[in-house]
Parts: sequence; C-alpha cells; structure tokens
Amino acid sequence: MGMTDAWLLPLLPAGAFVVLLLFGPYLPRKGDWIAIGAMAATFGLVFPIIFDFTDELSRHGAEFAGVANSTQWLEVPGYLELRLGVHVDAITIVMLAVVTFVSLMVQVYSLAYMKGDSRYGWFYAVLSLFTASMLALVLADNFLLLYFAWELVGLCSYLLIGHYSHLRSAAEASKKAFITTRLGDVGLLIAIILLWRDTGTFNIQEIIAAAQAGTIRTEVLTASVVLLFLGAMGKSAQFPFHVWLPDAMEGPTPVSALIHAATMVVAGVYLVARTLPLFALVEGGQELVLAVGLLTTFMSAGMGLVMTDIKRVIAYSTINSLGLMFVALGVGAPGAAMLYLFTHAFFKALLFLGAGSVIHATDRQEVDQLGGLWSKMPITGVTFAVGALSMAGLPFLSGFWAKDEILHALLDNRGVFALTLLTLPVTAFYMTRVFVLTFLGEPKDPEAHAHAHESPLTMWVPLALLAGLTFVSGLIVFDQVGRALGFPGGIGEIIYAHEPEIFHFSVGNAIGSSLLVLLGLALAWYIYMLRPGTSAVAVRTFRPVYTLLVNKFYIDAVYQAIVDNVVLGVARMVAWFDRNVVNDTGVDGAGYTTKFAGYLLKYQQTGRLPNYALGIVVGVIALALVAFSIKG
Amino acid sequence: MDGASAVAQQIPLEHFLVLSAILFSIGVYGVLSRRNAVLIIMSVELMLNAASINMVAFAAYASPGAFIGIIFAIFIITIAAAEVGLALAIVLRVFRNRQTANVDELDTLRW
Repeated sequence: MGMTDAWLLPLLPAGAFVVLLLFGPYLPRKGDWIAIGAMAATFGLVFPIIFDFTDELSRHGAEFAGVANSTQWLEVPGYLELRLGVHVDAITIVMLAVVTFVSLMVQVYSLAYMKGDSRYGWFYAVLSLFTASMLALVLADNFLLLYFAWELVGLCSYLLIGHYSHLRSAAEASKKAFITTRLGDVGLLIAIILLWRDTGTFNIQEIIAAAQAGTIRTEVLTASVVLLFLGAMGKSAQFPFHVWLPDAMEGPTPVSALIHAATMVVAGVYLVARTLPLFALVEGGQELVLAVGLLTTFMSAGMGLVMTDIKRVIAYSTINSLGLMFVALGVGAPGAAMLYLFTHAFFKALLFLGAGSVIHATDRQEVDQLGGLWSKMPITGVTFAVGALSMAGLPFLSGFWAKDEILHALLDNRGVFALTLLTLPVTAFYMTRVFVLTFLGEPKDPEAHAHAHESPLTMWVPLALLAGLTFVSGLIVFDQVGRALGFPGGIGEIIYAHEPEIFHFSVGNAIGSSLLVLLGLALAWYIYMLRPGTSAVAVRTFRPVYTLLVNKFYIDAVYQAIVDNVVLGVARMVAWFDRNVVNDTGVDGAGYTTKFAGYLLKYQQTGRLPNYALGIVVGVIALALVAFSIKG
Repeated sequence: MDGASAVAQQIPLEHFLVLSAILFSIGVYGVLSRRNAVLIIMSVELMLNAASINMVAFAAYASPGAFIGIIFAIFIITIAAAEVGLALAIVLRVFRNRQTANVDELDTLRW
C-alpha cells in the first residue's frame, strides 16, 4: 500500500454507501457496522501512505512534489483526453489524516447520538458518501474529478443538514446551504472551463506549470483565479457567503462536527492551498484572499459574541477560524494555514461533539436554558473546556501553536498583523462565555438540569480521544516529536515541505498573543461568572452595536429582501407568463381552437346523401384536374 | 380477337369513349338528382357499366392480345352484382323500418 494506491481510500466508504443504500434496511443494526468498519479500514490504510510519503520525502528532500497515478478515462482523439487519477503530496497527506480520523470519530459518536432515529441507516449511508467524496476531492489530480467530488460534498451536506426533514427550519437551512454554496460552485466550474480552454488539460499540476510558463493569457488567468476563489468562498463560508454555515446547525450535531472539521468547509481552504501558485501569479490575487479572510474573521468574531445557541456560537467560531486560514493563505503561508486546519479539525470536532453531548443530555441548546452542567457531565465539561481553550488559543494547546504560526507569517504585514491580534481576545471571550453559560453557574432550567446525565461510552470516548489530540497535535511542529514518531524531520516537515523554513516560533509573539487571549478569558470570566448581571448592562450600554450583531449585520435580512423582491419578483413574472401566456394562450388556446374548429366544421355533416355524393363528385373532378395539370 | 379487331376497323375508339362518358354523366346526374334510393342505385349501376365499356374498348384497341381489360370488366360486373344485392337489401330494410326510400328523410347521421 503505497501512495499510488491511494485511489482505494475513497472507494471503501463509497462501497459502504452503496451497500447501505441497497441492503441497509435488511442488515442487522441497519448496517452501521459496515459504515464504521469501512471508515476504520480507510483510517488504517492512511498510515502506510503516510509512511511511504515520509520515506520518499527523506529520499528526495524538499523538492519532492508528490506522486501521481492516473488512468485514461475518456478520449476524443486529437481533441481531448480525460484522465482520472490521484495526486498525493504534503497537503493531501494532512487532509487524508484529518478527514479519515474525524469521520471515524463522528461515526462512532453517532452510534449513541442518532440511536432510535427513523432514518438511522440512511444517515450512516450519507455519512459514508460524505467522507468518500471528501477523500476523492483531496486526492484528485485533475479539476474535473475535483469538481465532481466538490458537488458530491455539497449534495451530502444538503442531505445531512436537512436530515430532520420534518422540521421546516431544517429544510430551509439545507436549501440555503445548497443554494449559497452553489453560487460559488458556478464560479469554480467556469474557472475550470476557462483554464481548460487555454491549456487543454484538467490536470492541476499541468495547469499550474502552464501558468508559471506564461502560456495562459493574463486576463483569462485573472478571471479564473477570481472565479476559483468564488467557489472556495462559497464552500468555506467566507463573507459574503458565510450565511449558510450558522443555519447549517439545523442538522444533527455529529453532522455539524463533520462539516466543520473535516469534510465540507475546509474544502475551500484546501482548494486555495492547492492552487496558491495561480493566486501568486495574478496581481492582487493573494490580496483578495487576504481581504476576504480578514473581513470574515472580524465579522464572525463580532457575531459570535452575542449568539445564544451553543452550536451557533461554535459555528461562528468556525467561520472565524476559516477566515484566519484564508488570511494565512493570503500572505502566502500555506504551511501555516494547513497547520491551523490540522489542529482546528480536532478541537472543532471536539467542540461540536461536546455540544452534541449537552444537547443529547438536556434536549436544550440555548445557553439561556443551560448552566451548572459541570457536576452532572464531568467528561463532557472537561473536554469541552479543552476544546474551547484551544480555540481561544491558550498557550500549549494545539490552537496556540497554529495561531502563532499564522501570526508569525503576518509579521511582514503590520496592519494585518495588528487587526488579527484584535480578534484574539474576542474569540477567547466568546468561547469562555459559551463554556461558562453552559457548564457553570446556576442551572437556568431546573427541569433540563435534573434530567441531565453523562453521555454513554461511544460518545465520550471520541470526546476523550479528540481532547487528547487537542493537547498534543500542536506539538508535531517540533522536529524532535516528529522524529520520535518515526517521521524524519517531524510532521512539521510534511506540512512545510515546500517552504524552506520548518517551524518559526518567536517568544515575543507568543507572549503578546497569550496576554490578549488571557485578557479575553478574564473579561468573560468576570462578566459571566463573577458578576452575572454585567452582560445585561453591557447590552444596554452598547445597544446599537448589540442590535447590529444580533441581527448578523443585517446581511441575512438583506439577502432575504433580495430573494423576496428580486428573485421572487422575477419568479412571479415568470409564473404570470407561464399561467397566462404558456398555459392560457398556448395550451388552453390550442384546445379551444380545436374545439371551435370542430364547432364550425360539424355543419358539414348534414346527414343528406346527395350532399355527400356531390362532395364525392366535386372531389373526383378536382383530383382529375390536378392530375391533368400536373401531367401538363 | 378477330371479331373485336373487325369492329375496331369499322368504328373508331372515340365512339366508345363518348358513349361511356355519356352513360357515366347520366349516372352522375341520377345519383345527384334522384331522391329515391332505388333510383340512385340504378344510376350507380349506369356509372359502373360506363366504366366497363371504357375498359373493354381500351382492351380491344390499345392491346388486342391481352385480357387484362376484359378481366377487369368481368370483375366490375361481379362486384356490381354483389353491391346491388347488398344495397337493395339495405334499402328494403330501411323501407320496412321507415316506410320510405327517400334519402332526404334518412338524415339521422347528422350533427
């Protein structure tokens, strides 16, 4: 099992999907063991690939560009040849590890969380397909396969967000997610076609090589990079496409964990990281990524402050993190972005699964109705705290290393550096807030509190594993740790394979950022733990700001207004045209014309024999005249 | 075909055609003007016979050695006999039912 066999990975969960789809209802436990078994096997198979990769890396050094393996798919001789294949390099390796591990954890967790659900088997089938498509996406060596997987990922997220299809809100949320990301997907498709037109290939590496050789026209390259980024923005919920992600919380909580940590939103980050050389070639390309990332980080940090739904707060923290990753990509530091993606996957999955554990135990998800769960749910409480602190960036948790790495990459860009620093205490503040309101203080809903209990084994074991990884996954940036694990040069070298330096750490940055994080933590602790009434005062004092944030900067309202007035307006016009012109005039008109013609023509049926006889004679004479005239 | 050839030498083809045309026109006139079903059937017979004369005349003049035209005439006679038998039977039944053979009064198949 080497890197060239990586095409096997997506096939396992895809096979599980097919089996569950066809035979799921007839299998014991609706086949969940098949899905989990396939997922575990996939996770196991990732390791030989990683070892093969590190072997090659140590043999070839930093120039090692990865291994490709492809087969012919379709050929139109002399015009077009489509190849289907995989490309494994540093970025892919990181994504493979993250996707398979988080998917496995989520599937094990769902055993208890989704127990008794009416569409339990279908849920596992779609989870498997979700993972399979994401694996295909990160392995694809060409844009066509990537786009195919890209759309499958979108479809699966649609199906899973709308899993509770009897809820109108879930149905609307899934529709919103699908349509919003679709706006970006169209851009991606156009970009792929544009690039193909100028290079004649869909292969990503060949297109990058062609762009670097200058064979793609500048304006085409610019247009395709912008459109490509549009696709990434949609998938990764960047402003102005961020609106779908908080609403996606309508799905079952394990799905949220999967979408946020492994299979959906990081696809955009992956795409930009994969095609970053193209962005570097276009004037203003990276600046665009930087600006969008920065704006998104800021807006989501603000909105995260005021949300009361535990899952929504975490959702905004994801948008916050994704913004940070784009900021890192925007300054040309894919290594920092991928490191953040790697560590983020663990603590974000942990946070969502922890939130799911709370929802499972209390059936509540508004922080106004929670509180005081620490003593009732110690494992969930501790692991959630670890996740929240890692998200906040507290020193020595994984989020800290990744965040400092991004800050280091920003050092040359003073303005961006300062702005990014500003978001740190805000992130720390709202993560502390959601933790305190959920687990500490007085229970706000005694009934829910009384029924609360620690979650079963299959739920807290994934929590514990993810919490453990949240502690240690950041440490892989150190060479010594990596060598001890058998990776020459550390996993850090995998992530930074294309960059000269391996890991940068500056004490000044670390101390500065940690102080800001602690400031946010302390402030939230003071407001929500020590002086519980303060938050109401703060809301009154900053009423306009609060209103703006609670209404999500009115972006959703503006979109709703656009949909109501423009989209539905056009739809009403089209409907009017359909009803009056197509239906009343076209379809009914044809019917009425026939009917009226029949009404007129019926009078020829006189029932009088001589009339018919005359008709025959006249007809024969007419035919004879015609025959003679033709004969001439 | 000696007899036919002999006739053909004395009487030109046009005479037969004119006769046939006159008979046919009388038949058409009868079909269109008569109101009695029996007379209409008789007129139709006239038209059939006109056609038969046409066939036989052409057979004798255009291709004296061939039988095709004559066979055609025999078929016409056969069919005419069958047709008259059938038509008269229908007229008889109609008359029994309605006490009339006037086609103007038989107009139930109308709008």
